[in-house]
Amino acid sequence: MTADTSTIERRIRWSGMLVVTGLVVQMLTLLWTHPLAFMCFILVGCPLVAAGILFYLYSLASHHTS
Amino acid sequence: MANNFHAALILILFTAIVALLCLLTALRPELTRARGGKILAFVALCILPVLAVWAGANEHLERSTSTQFCLSCHVMANFGQSLYVDDKSYIPAVHFQNNRVPREHACFTCHTDYTMFGDYKAKLRGLHHVEVQYFGKIPKPEDIKLYTPYNNRECLHCHAGARTYEEASSHHKTPDLLAQTAANKLSCTSSGCHDTIHDVGTLGDATFWKPIGGGQ
Repeated sequence: MTADTSTIERRIRWSGMLVVTGLVVQMLTLLWTHPLAFMCFILVGCPLVAAGILFYLYSLASHHTS
Repeated sequence: MANNFHAALILILFTAIVALLCLLTALRPELTRARGGKILAFVALCILPVLAVWAGANEHLERSTSTQFCLSCHVMANFGQSLYVDDKSYIPAVHFQNNRVPREHACFTCHTDYTMFGDYKAKLRGLHHVEVQYFGKIPKPEDIKLYTPYNNRECLHCHAGARTYEEASSHHKTPDLLAQTAANKLSCTSSGCHDTIHDVGTLGDATFWKPIGGGQ
């Protein structure tokens, strides 16, 4: 296993964790019909999932260029 | 309601499955060394989360049009109560009690612009309302006013073309009354005609309708 492989796997682990956390937040907000649940989804869940996806794509792109 | 519950349950299950796939990829990133693992990671970390968030956003937007959602803030309780006033002069009450608006979406039916992004504008205002609810000075219910004068379009969305609306003698007091109303030059709700709206300041003296069988 090269250092490069180790780096991308570490990044995939982080991006996976971010997406999982965002999806868990989304699931919790879906259990409640309230403006705070909506805001929690928009302000916490969505950014976490978006960050995870972007970090995953970045890890792919940076792996290919290196 | 049962359909909404099932849709939400399916969405939660779908989100849980996507989360489990993401967790598998996160805990076993070495899977991505093989071609199949790379495909799994791309689907689990990129495609499925986008689908889950899109479906979640749709569900939340749909829920935010429900009467339950609008009345979940304490300051709105009196407005919800006004829908049950036993007095035909209360316009929202007579619409709600006679199913002229869908009861589960009563607030949204009359209080959003019928434009393509009307509900999104309403959400932005809603964000401000939440901020006031938790960080600002909450006004008294009777002090809450609309941002802009009520647009006749919201009434005419249903009433325009209806026989009872067009043939009502009160709508022919002047020859151009219907035209002026259609042009929004004469307000339905503030021209001395249908001007008893929620009137939450007078609810203390009101009597209330009790639906047979409990209603909503």
